[in-house]
Parts: sequence; C-alpha cells; structure tokens
Amino acid sequence: MWGYVGRRLLLAIPTLLGASIIVFAMVHLAPGDPISAILPVDASKEQIEDTKRAYGFDKPLPVQYLKWLGRVVQGDLGKSIATRRAVILDVRDSLANSLVLAVSSSLLAFGAGIALGLLAAFHQSRALDKLASAIAVIGVSVPHYWAGIILIIIFSVQLNWLPAMGASSDGGLVGYLRHMALPTIALALIPLGVIARVTRSAALDILNQEFVLALRAKGLARARVFKHVVKNAAPQIITVLGLQFGFQLGGSVLVEAVFSWPGTGYLLNLAIFQRDMPVLQGVILVLATFFVLLNLLVDVLQTYIDPRIARH
Amino acid sequence: MTRFIGFLVVAVLSLALASGASAEGTLRIGMTAADIPYTGGQTDNGFEGFRFVGYQIYEPLINWDLSRSDKLPSLVPGLAESWEVSKSDPKKWIFKLRKNVKFHDGSAFNADSVLFTFDSIKNKQAAQFDQYGSAQISWRLSALKAMKKLDDYTIELETPTVTSFVPYQIVYMVIVSPAQWDKVKDWRKFAEQPSGTGPFRVTRFVPRERLELEANKGYWDPKRTPKVDKVVLLPMPEPTTRLAALRSGQVDWIEVPPPDSIAQLKGGGFQIVTNKYPHNWGHILRLDKEPWNNKAVRKAANYAIDRVGICKNLLNDTCVPGTGVAYKGHPWFGNPKETYDYNPAKAKEILKAAGFDGVSKRPARAVALISTSGSGQMLPLAMNELVQKNLKDVGIDVDLQPIEWNSLTQRFRIGFTGENAGVNALNISFNFLEPFSGFGRFFHSKSVPPTSVNIMPFVNPESDKLLDEAEKTFDLAKQDAILAKVHEVVVDEAPWIFVVHDLNPRAMSPKVKGFVPPQSWFVDLTQVSVAK
Amino acid sequence: MSVIALPQELSTVAGAPMSYWRTVAWRLSRDRATLVAGALLLVIALSAMLAPWIAPYDPSAGSIRLRLAPVGTPSHVLGTDEQGRDMLSRLLWGGRMTLVAGLTPVVVAFLVGTVLGVMAGYAGGLVNTLVMRTMDIFYAFPAVLLAIAISGALGPGLPNTLISLSIVFIPRVVRVAESATVQVKGLEYVAAAKASGASVWQILRHHLLANILGPVLVFASTQVSLSIILAAGLSFLGLGVTPPSAEWGLMLNTLRQSIYVNAVVPALPGLAIFVTSMAFNLVSDGLRDAMEIRA
Repeated sequence: MWGYVGRRLLLAIPTLLGASIIVFAMVHLAPGDPISAILPVDASKEQIEDTKRAYGFDKPLPVQYLKWLGRVVQGDLGKSIATRRAVILDVRDSLANSLVLAVSSSLLAFGAGIALGLLAAFHQSRALDKLASAIAVIGVSVPHYWAGIILIIIFSVQLNWLPAMGASSDGGLVGYLRHMALPTIALALIPLGVIARVTRSAALDILNQEFVLALRAKGLARARVFKHVVKNAAPQIITVLGLQFGFQLGGSVLVEAVFSWPGTGYLLNLAIFQRDMPVLQGVILVLATFFVLLNLLVDVLQTYIDPRIARH
Repeated sequence: MTRFIGFLVVAVLSLALASGASAEGTLRIGMTAADIPYTGGQTDNGFEGFRFVGYQIYEPLINWDLSRSDKLPSLVPGLAESWEVSKSDPKKWIFKLRKNVKFHDGSAFNADSVLFTFDSIKNKQAAQFDQYGSAQISWRLSALKAMKKLDDYTIELETPTVTSFVPYQIVYMVIVSPAQWDKVKDWRKFAEQPSGTGPFRVTRFVPRERLELEANKGYWDPKRTPKVDKVVLLPMPEPTTRLAALRSGQVDWIEVPPPDSIAQLKGGGFQIVTNKYPHNWGHILRLDKEPWNNKAVRKAANYAIDRVGICKNLLNDTCVPGTGVAYKGHPWFGNPKETYDYNPAKAKEILKAAGFDGVSKRPARAVALISTSGSGQMLPLAMNELVQKNLKDVGIDVDLQPIEWNSLTQRFRIGFTGENAGVNALNISFNFLEPFSGFGRFFHSKSVPPTSVNIMPFVNPESDKLLDEAEKTFDLAKQDAILAKVHEVVVDEAPWIFVVHDLNPRAMSPKVKGFVPPQSWFVDLTQVSVAK
Repeated sequence: MSVIALPQELSTVAGAPMSYWRTVAWRLSRDRATLVAGALLLVIALSAMLAPWIAPYDPSAGSIRLRLAPVGTPSHVLGTDEQGRDMLSRLLWGGRMTLVAGLTPVVVAFLVGTVLGVMAGYAGGLVNTLVMRTMDIFYAFPAVLLAIAISGALGPGLPNTLISLSIVFIPRVVRVAESATVQVKGLEYVAAAKASGASVWQILRHHLLANILGPVLVFASTQVSLSIILAAGLSFLGLGVTPPSAEWGLMLNTLRQSIYVNAVVPALPGLAIFVTSMAFNLVSDGLRDAMEIRA
C-alpha cells in the first residue's frame, strides 16, 4: 500500500506543476494590468513604467513564470501589489478563516447528510424516505449564494438575530461564532444534499444485497445490520466527503462574497477586482495544492478501507 | 438524541442573544474602500484614503479648515504657521514651520522632516524613496521643484515657473517621521507602525480587515484634540454590507448608504448627513470627431437631461443637478450664459437649427464607456440608462459600454485612441478641489497627454489665457474671480455632458454627535463623539 | 467507478441497444416524480424560448418612478427591479440566458468528453496516460475556482462564460467516460465479439457506446444543475453576462442591493434558478433509476 501512496505522491508533482502553469497563464492573460488598479487616474506614464519595473512586470512572461516558480518552491509566494505584504501571510490568514468555515459547514453537512441518507435508506419508499430524499434534492439544487441572501433577509434584516456580514474580530469568540452561523448553513446546503443522496444510494446497494435481505428476514439485530451497512458503504461515502470538503474550501467564493466572510474566496474576489496578480496566483495555487492532496488522501483512505478499490 | 437537540437549541439561542459590545467613545466607520488605505504616508484609494487615513494620522504644512458646513473650506496653517512668496523671487516660497510639534513616535517635527518627506516622493536616489507613495501623489505636486532648509523651522520651496497654486499643492503632501522610518528602513514596515503628527495615531492594523486609531492626546492644537477615544475603520465595498452593518449596530457610521435605503434609515432613527462638495458626475466628450465635435449637439445634449428626475427618483435626493463643472454657490461658478435646465424642446430646436431633424438626419451614434461601480461613480448603470433615454428622446442615440471600474480608469488614461478608438464619451466622476484638478488638467491646451489628462482635447485660447492669468494671481479672491470666468467659458463650450453633483451621503447612528459635514471630500473627526 | 448492471432481460448481445432504450423509456413512464419534473422543465424551456412573444414588456424598458414595485402590483405581476423593469419579462428573458449558459457547457462537455474519454479508455497505454494526466491537472481545481479563474482571465461576457464552464466540465465527463469504457472493455461479451472478428468500429458502436452513453448521460445530467448554478454564480460575481442583459444570476446580484427595501423581488431570480436546477436533478435521478445505473 505504501507503494501506492508513494506512486500517487509522485504523480501529484507533475499535476501541481501543470496546475501552476495554468494558474500563471490564466492570471496573466486576464485583461487589465494591476498597476492601473493601484495608481491614481492621473499618474504619469513614467510613474507607471517605474512601478511596473519595480514589480518585475516588464520581463517576458516565461521569465516571470520561472522566477515565480523558483520562489514558490522556497515557500515565497511573492508580495501583494495592493498591500505590499507577503502573499503567504494574506493566504495564511484567509485560509484560516476559510478552513474554519469549511470545517464547520462540513461537520453540519456530513452529520446531517449521513443521518438523512441512512434514515432514507432504512425506511426505503416510506414517508421518511420521501421526506429525507426531498430535503436532499432541495439541498443539491439550491444556489448557495441565493440561500445565503435568503438567510440574511430572514435572520438579519427581518429578525435582526444574527449579523449579516464579516467576521468581526471585536466580538470575541461569541461574536465570531455569530458571524459564522449563517455562512456555515449556506455553504452546507449543497454538500448536505449530495452526501445524503450518496449515502442513501450506497446504503441501499448493500441493504438490497440478497444475503443481507436474507439475514434481516432471519431476524438479525438491527444494530448489526446497521454496522454492516456503514462499514461497507464507508468507501463511497468517504470519497464524497473528501470531494465535498474540497468543494467547500475552494467553492466558498460565492458564499464569502455574499457574507463578506474574510476567507480565500473573499481574498480572491478582491484580488480579481484589484488585479492583484501575485495574490491571485498564490491563492489559487495553494487551494489547488490543497485539493490535490485532499484527493490523494481520499484515494488512499479508500484503498486502505477496501483494498479492492485501486485507482489507476 | 434529545440531549443533542437540547444542546443545539441552547447553543443557538445563546448565540442569538449575545450581542457585539462597543467600547465607549469608539467610532466605528464602514468605508467604501475595498481595502485599508495605505498608511505609509502618501496614501492611496484616492480621496477616501486622505479622508480616513492621510489626514487623520498625518498632516501637511497647510490644512483645510473643515469646521464649517456653510462655506467652502479655506486653507489654514497646518504644520506651517505661515507662508508667503519671496519678494525677491516669485519662484520661491518661504514656509515658517510650527514649533513644539512631536510625531507619534516622540521625535520632533522640524525642517528636516519636511525635506525627508519631499525626497521620499521626488528624489528617486534617496534611500527613503517610496515608489508606491510617490506614484500616488507626485502628479499633484508639479509645482514643487526643490526644497531647501533655511533653518530648523524655515523651508524655502522653489517652483519651476511662477505659480500661485502652490498652497493648493502643498495641502496634498503629508509629513512623515524620519526617525520612525530610520528605525525600520522599509515603507511596508513603516506602514504597519506609522508615525505622523496628526490628531490620531494607529494602534492596530489588520490588513484588509480593520485599522484602529486612538486619539493623539499630545496633538499640538488643543482645539482639535479628538473628543472620541478610538476610531475603527472597516473596509466595506458592498453597499448592502455597509447597510447591514449599520443597522445591526456593528458600525456607527457608513459612507454612501444605498440611496434606496435612506427613507428606511431615517425612519429607523439614523442620521442622514449630506452636503455639497466639489464633485461632478458627467460624460467627458471626444471633441475632434462626430457627433460631439459639433457644439450644437453638445449643447442640445446638455438641455436634454432630466437632472431633477435623476436626483429625486433614482438617488433619493442624494445629489443635486449639475449644469457645469462647479455648482451654483461655489465661488468658481460665475455666470454662464447657458443654464442647461431640463428643456427637451429647446434641445430639439438647437439640433434642428444645426440640420438634424431627428428623423432622417440624426447625429452620429455616440458610444459611451461607463463603469459598473467605482469610487465616486454613484449608481453608474441606472444613471446612465436614464441619460441614454433622455438623449434618445431628443434625437441623440447613445450606446453604453459598461466595463469594470479599474478598466475604465485605465482606458481613461489612454484617451480616445487605441482601444478607445470607437468610443467618444467616458463617464468618470471628478473633483474640483483646487484649480488644477478642476480646470487646469482638462481645459488648458498644455494639458493634453502625456502631460496630463486633457484627452478631449479641449483647446480654447480664451481658457488658456484665463488659466495662465489665474496661476499668476496671488490674491485668492481675485484668483477665484478669474476661475469663475474660465468656468463660464467651459460651460458655454459644453465639452462635457454635465449631469449631477453628489451630496456625499453618510448615515450614522443617533449616538454619533458633533459631526459637521464640510463642503469637502475630507472630514474632521476630532469634534465627533459617540454617546453611550 | 461504476458497475453497470444490464437489465436482466437483455443478456443477449444481438439487438441489445434497441430494446434497452425501450425498457428505459418504459421505466421512465412509470416514474411520476420524474414525469412531473420533466414537464416542469419543458414549461421552463418553452417559456424561455417563447419569451420574445409571451413577455408582457420589453425587458430593458423601465421607468424609475416604478422602481422595486412589490409582487402583485396590478401592471407588474411579479414586481419591478431596481430600474423599474418588469420582473416577469426579465425572468422569462433571463431564463434563455441562464439555460443557454447552463446547458451549452454540459452539452459541449458531453460531446467532447465522451470522445476523449472513450478514446483514452479504448486505446489504453500512452494515449490514456496523456489524456488522463492532463485531465488530472484540471481536476486539481475545485469547479468554482476553476470557473472563476478562467472567467477572470477571459473577461466577462456570455461566450467567455461558455468556454470557461466547458473547460470545467470536460475533465469530469472524460473521467466517467474513460472509466466506463475501461470496465466495459473488460467484459466477457466484448472479448467474445472481438474473437468473432467484429471490427473496432462495430464493437464501439454496438457494445461500448450503448453501455457507456448511459452512465455518461446520467452523469452529464447531474452536472446541468451545477452548471446553471455556476453560470449564474459567475454573473453574480460580475464575471459572466454583463448588464443590462437579463440573466438570473446577474439579476440576483443587482437586486441584492435592494433586499432592505423589498425582500421578495430580489428572491425571485434565485427561486427561478432553484426550481430549474431541482427539475434537472429530478429528471436525471429518474433517468438513472430507469437505466439502473449505480453511483
């Protein structure tokens, strides 16, 4: 198995390299240059050229790419054009906030999703199944940024119970949690739906296997059946959990935009608006790396739980 | 299971009932800026940077007097007690500096500090040259050629030509502490622990999130030592976010509330504060090609706009009609012949007289570049669609091309060439804070690119003559009168479509007291207090 | 990735494709939920297509005096937006944009992805490695991130949005198609067909495609809802369709500023996205059940 892990790790390297090229290309192909974003309208051409040179934007693209890559490998993601802070610091701070959001909404989604899925599977075709499945479908279909807006309308505008935006460093832990409540729910909806559906489907697969049906008919204890189902459905469910966590980390942009939650998505949005290329490159690359490693972890876990499943 | 649910209920309730506390005497402000303005001295984010950072932490040699609402701010002594043109050489100015002023780090302010700051902006070879800060401000300081120290508290400034506009430029250069810079030798580090002489000092700086200021109790002017203890600045570029933050008590003051929410805010007990200030919103036109090369078409366009309608229906009275660069009541307004009231019939007449019957003969299609948002741009999409409709109604067809704000400023720099070859109008808001920003950069023939931004290009010998004369007139009242004449020429030539002047709306909680909205882009926070 | 169970009654090779689809159709006709969802989709699609004729007003004509009129206003049944434009008309017209932006990338991904995936799966070896590793690189990015990054690079506008989303979905389809191809390739009856002398093209046509298109189609249909949400999301962020066009995501964004004035009207475009997306999901569920595809 360690050979498998080793091989996958090795494979991750060219993947990440390719990803870095794509990131760099995308960011630099974007129309509009970052210098205009930070200099006043009236700044002279000379000033603009000087500033460009100070940031190294006057060199040809491949040279810029190699320089950037060289520094990335040493852990230096460059300096933000807008704040002149090290990008790695911006990324670290925002990643922390995004992780908090991703973890808490994952807990919500996983917990509720698995519960719903199992509930539905064990009561197949009865009312409870229909209800749980309906909730799951709703979860999967709802645009989470819209859900966020609705939550704001209900809980902030009309009821004034919870704050509508930001992360508020001046309310202490309780303040932070209050700010986190609505974005967590909004972000959890789609994964909740997906996980519920996959869990239901996986559990049903096992429940409907002939020998399980036979055992249940013979009167095998509910708890043992339950354990058996969970153990055998685990690989599939874990795959989905991993993917959904990735979705919540990388896909939080829209929710963060609605709630002004200072995570990587918010930073990304800001950087796009400010054309802050170093930040864009840094954030996307870090997120992509996270995602690749996450996929790797999920695949390895899957193989560990069920060695029969081995991807290429 | 029930215990778990019980726990959840308790947790949810306790979250809902706990509320964010605010320290007493703390003013929390939601800015429209997307990020914290640069705190290293010569700030960015345009005038909002000056408003909340530049002029709060630092000061220039000459200050704006922001204490009155009923008249334009005048220039008053700041870190310089007095200034005058040298009698022997009109290209030299003598500034007598204020004594016994200390920077936030405790070091003394004197002539060396001024020279140090000057070099940080103008002298590329200086160790303390601030590439970023210089790029932000040096275009405003064209008259500041060289500075010389005459003694510890006297500075001599040399200008390239004789110009009376010097004070209007000095006001933009804020003084930084050389001692503090020497400690860190790096502008980014300096920005994290800034040191100026202003009424507020920085206590906490969380990039992209908040800037916390506290009152500088040792400030040199006892009349302007801040009443409020702390100021917290939060970037909130989204209007709804700002609104939500104000309503939920997260902040006490927001810039530019969404115009739609004003009635509600008033109903909820919030204060809505507005005042005229030197801002204009309109279209800058291309004057060397159709359709705007025809003065009749330009005049007709200006008579076609229902400005009152825009201000009343769309912007809830947070703007006033603009019929020129300056607004009525401003010393530079003068007495233009054209009144540009809403008169579509007159517009059609003017066009007819010029040969456009509105049916078979219409002026060439206008193509206007507009932005989807942006600082000072107000509600660009909605407003421009109304302008478009108004113009169509009198027989002028306009295509709107909305692009992002950053792209718009970039394309404005290019002028009506290259990428903008097919464009003949640009919708950007401007300020007319001082003669160069208001008139010099647009309405003088020497300001065509690359020197400055007269991209139209507006070439009018009368205007040139008056502007040159103004620059040589050192008596401010006489200078104002000459600029008023420039204004009359500009209004009658109609190189722009004048639309509205913003009223700088702000919304505040009833607890905020003592704020006097000046007729300015800037504010004085020292007289503000926050009741408990 | 998925195990394809052929319906019991179709164990013979000859004639498998035709009656397989007939069985699928039969199953679908019994599934009420799917039929209802399908009908709903039809209504949505039709109203979008017929928008120019059935919309009561011009979607770009508005009077600011009538801004943000609430739902139920006599002349504007669904209210008006922040510029005074009729919501019903904009929703109808917006549907066209959203549906086009949502469906086109998936269709493109389905076509391109199936070809690439089948090619990689059937050829194996170097071709497979090349194609799949390249797809892996794109897979390294979460969908939303990739869409935003590409759109950020290309700029706003409908064509760029279509390109960006297609790029997001192609790798996923390729993966499913390749996986299905590899599995079917190994099935006994295919080996038998090969042994009996059938050409590559014949094998592909009769055996592989019938058993690959199924899962790929189902997978693609599950992505439609995500594509619609992403397309609208891009417009929401200012990277998709540009104003003053009507598109549900864009409308959601511009109306968001008005939630304090009138909370219901801003919710409508989101509701439209939600309902459409749900209908697609239910239909794709039904399809999957009818084809008995697991996972």
